[in-house]
Amino acid sequence: MFKHESIETNSGLLIVLTLVAISIGGLVEIVPLHYINETVEDVKDPVTGVELVRPYTPLEQRGRDIYIREGCYTCHSQMIRPFRDEDLRYGHYSLAAESKFDHPFQWGSKRTGPDLARVGGKYSNEWQVAHLVAPRSVVPESIMPNYPWLLENNLQYADIKDRMIALKRVGVPYSLTKVEYESNVKRFGEDVAKKLDINTAENNLMAQAQKGNYDGNPNKLTEMDALVAYLQVLGTMVDFKKFDEDHFIQFR
Amino acid sequence: MAHSAALSSEQYNYEIVKKFAIASIFWGILGMSAGVYIASELAWPFLNFDIAQITFGRLRPLHTSGVIFGFGGNALFATSYYVVQRTCQARLAGGTFWPNFTFWGWNLSVLIAGVLYLFGYTQGREYAEPVWFIDIAITVVWVVYFLIFTITLIKRNQPHIYVANWFYMSFILATALLHIFNNLAVPVSFTSLESYSLFSGAQDAMTQWWYGHNAVGFFLTAAFLGMMYYFVPKQAGRPVYSYRLSIIHFWALSFMYMWVGTHHLHWTAIPDWTSTLAATFSILLLMPSWGGMINGIMTLSGAWDKLRTDPIMMFMITALSFYGMSTFEGPMMSLKSVNALSHYTDWTVGHVHSGALGWVAMISIASFYHMIPRLWNTTLYSTQLVYTHFFLATIGTILYITALWVSGIGQGLMLRAFDEYGNLAYTFVETVAFMHGPLVARAVGGLFFLSGMFVMAYNIYMTITRAKQEEPVSATAAAQA
Amino acid sequence: MLADFWTWILDLGNSKTVALLIFFTTFVGIVIYVYSSRKRSERLESYRYMPLMDEDDADRRVKAAEAAQAKGEK
Repeated sequence: MFKHESIETNSGLLIVLTLVAISIGGLVEIVPLHYINETVEDVKDPVTGVELVRPYTPLEQRGRDIYIREGCYTCHSQMIRPFRDEDLRYGHYSLAAESKFDHPFQWGSKRTGPDLARVGGKYSNEWQVAHLVAPRSVVPESIMPNYPWLLENNLQYADIKDRMIALKRVGVPYSLTKVEYESNVKRFGEDVAKKLDINTAENNLMAQAQKGNYDGNPNKLTEMDALVAYLQVLGTMVDFKKFDEDHFIQFR
Repeated sequence: MAHSAALSSEQYNYEIVKKFAIASIFWGILGMSAGVYIASELAWPFLNFDIAQITFGRLRPLHTSGVIFGFGGNALFATSYYVVQRTCQARLAGGTFWPNFTFWGWNLSVLIAGVLYLFGYTQGREYAEPVWFIDIAITVVWVVYFLIFTITLIKRNQPHIYVANWFYMSFILATALLHIFNNLAVPVSFTSLESYSLFSGAQDAMTQWWYGHNAVGFFLTAAFLGMMYYFVPKQAGRPVYSYRLSIIHFWALSFMYMWVGTHHLHWTAIPDWTSTLAATFSILLLMPSWGGMINGIMTLSGAWDKLRTDPIMMFMITALSFYGMSTFEGPMMSLKSVNALSHYTDWTVGHVHSGALGWVAMISIASFYHMIPRLWNTTLYSTQLVYTHFFLATIGTILYITALWVSGIGQGLMLRAFDEYGNLAYTFVETVAFMHGPLVARAVGGLFFLSGMFVMAYNIYMTITRAKQEEPVSATAAAQA
Repeated sequence: MLADFWTWILDLGNSKTVALLIFFTTFVGIVIYVYSSRKRSERLESYRYMPLMDEDDADRRVKAAEAAQAKGEK
């Protein structure tokens, strides 16, 4: 006859049974998500068949690194829920696919400030810069800290290739070889594929900063350039006008 | 067992317990000071002073790591090393080196991680912010901790492993599991402090909140229940109310906690079934949680008069009451309809603190007041100051959570309000303006709690100083005899 | 009959029901085990006293001080 005392007097048994008890829940909830295809929906252009959600360009990725460095996720979410008020305030609810290249995810858990999942294109570059340097100059009631150093610090990008290679290791389709590049052309189209090529990362980064002139100072490549480039792309990859209104409901 | 003749201070390794206990109080003050400061930054944003290192986003992880891993972690090391020795009546395994290794390994890891946050090095995952090489260091420390704990259990001179140790064991195992899987990442290079997480998007979110919630479940609950199962009976001088209830409590809690993490992701882009499953288990979790609370509170039955005269007991009962309250509030907030309002607001922050201040901190404080005089073989410097601490802590906690109920529910309601034309009634920044009052009250609540910690530090400092003055006297007395 | 039972159990669509049955049965089993027999109950409850068995001088000293304190305040 089994006795509970057997567990109480045998530390090995206690360890094993406790491990069993604590493992089941995690296994049931998380493991299936890695195998069920519907977890992350495919979002392709209905006309061209090109994938709409693409990896970040080198400049945007550096902006994302700065977003994480400054701990923006402690006050801003990037996950719009399917409610009427959020739809009116922020836009279409977030799709799983829209963060599939986010290592780590930045959905956040707290909105001390508004959601940023679709902040891209909502404000001009000039507004973003003014707001980041001194939030209360444009929104008097804001309680956000000032980030003046973003405009002063030169953007470090010497290790951009290392960063992209690390991201490639965890599954982001940046290309190193010709074959990988060709596959990206098929998946995302030629324009995008060029920006995902690790071999030309530095040039791509500088070209985008030059062309975008995000911080308003074309002579200097600052952290502000990168961060604003990142903010301006958030939520803009999927053009919801291309889809029927209830197209994405089937994936929920 | 002829153990009572020998001095406990010689029979057991008390030195390591003392170190961890003092470190815990130190981290408590540091982490809570950071907390009060960032709370004040939200109320008065000029306090960010345009200094990158002290902006809210960088200081907040220092607060969370400081209190969870610094204060809570050291308290758990201290009490688990104390409880496992005394309930097994065996000296701690690993000699003096390995326990010291866990002490310096753990504290340096938390300290270095904390300093790195200020300079912008973080993994950007809540409560798992330490950079990758710190994660590896923590893993090593944790394995040593597991071995010390297990080998002490094996060497025990008691036939049974007491229930407190089961909870400590499940905490050690679960933390290892969570820490390793949630921190899987690829460093940018071997000389870089930065890394990118192995998982992305929805899968990453699931892994992170499986970690995040169970850090609460096992680090901040199961282990502190272990504390409760030892220190409440000891302080009350009565055995625990029901041993059978504790068996059910342990297995049900260990099994169910791991299912509920996804309730942090209601209404997000993860499959609906995981959300529903998590909500269901969250409701079920109320039963073992309250089972444990009843077991703790009923231990006092027949000795209620102690509550009037013993401030340590008052800390314990208040801690259990807050535990009961926040484990009721939690399941309620995990209902999808309630969560739609509460999520992303200060209500969540308030809920965490009713558990963190009310339950975790108060039961740790009570355990310290019980344990420290015994460690130094002395008596507390002042019981009066324990009363003072108790009132500061209770008022602080109540003020804190009430303020954030107002702020959180208020903001939630404003954000979903529509005017008569069906437009949004408030802009986002109008809700920010509304929250100013509650946020000030919250900072004041935190300040109350922090000042209680200072009172404790003073009391403990005086207790130890006095014990050290007594020591030579008793040593000469022993030599003469 | 038995074959039907196995096909039902092995069908992944029923996995949630099966899991619920297994876990709930285990839980009820533990509860019954723990509370059913009076003899077992008494035996289990006898382990409650474990933490109180290592009373030492330091314990006694602190307790005496706390008791004196309590009396003084009454």
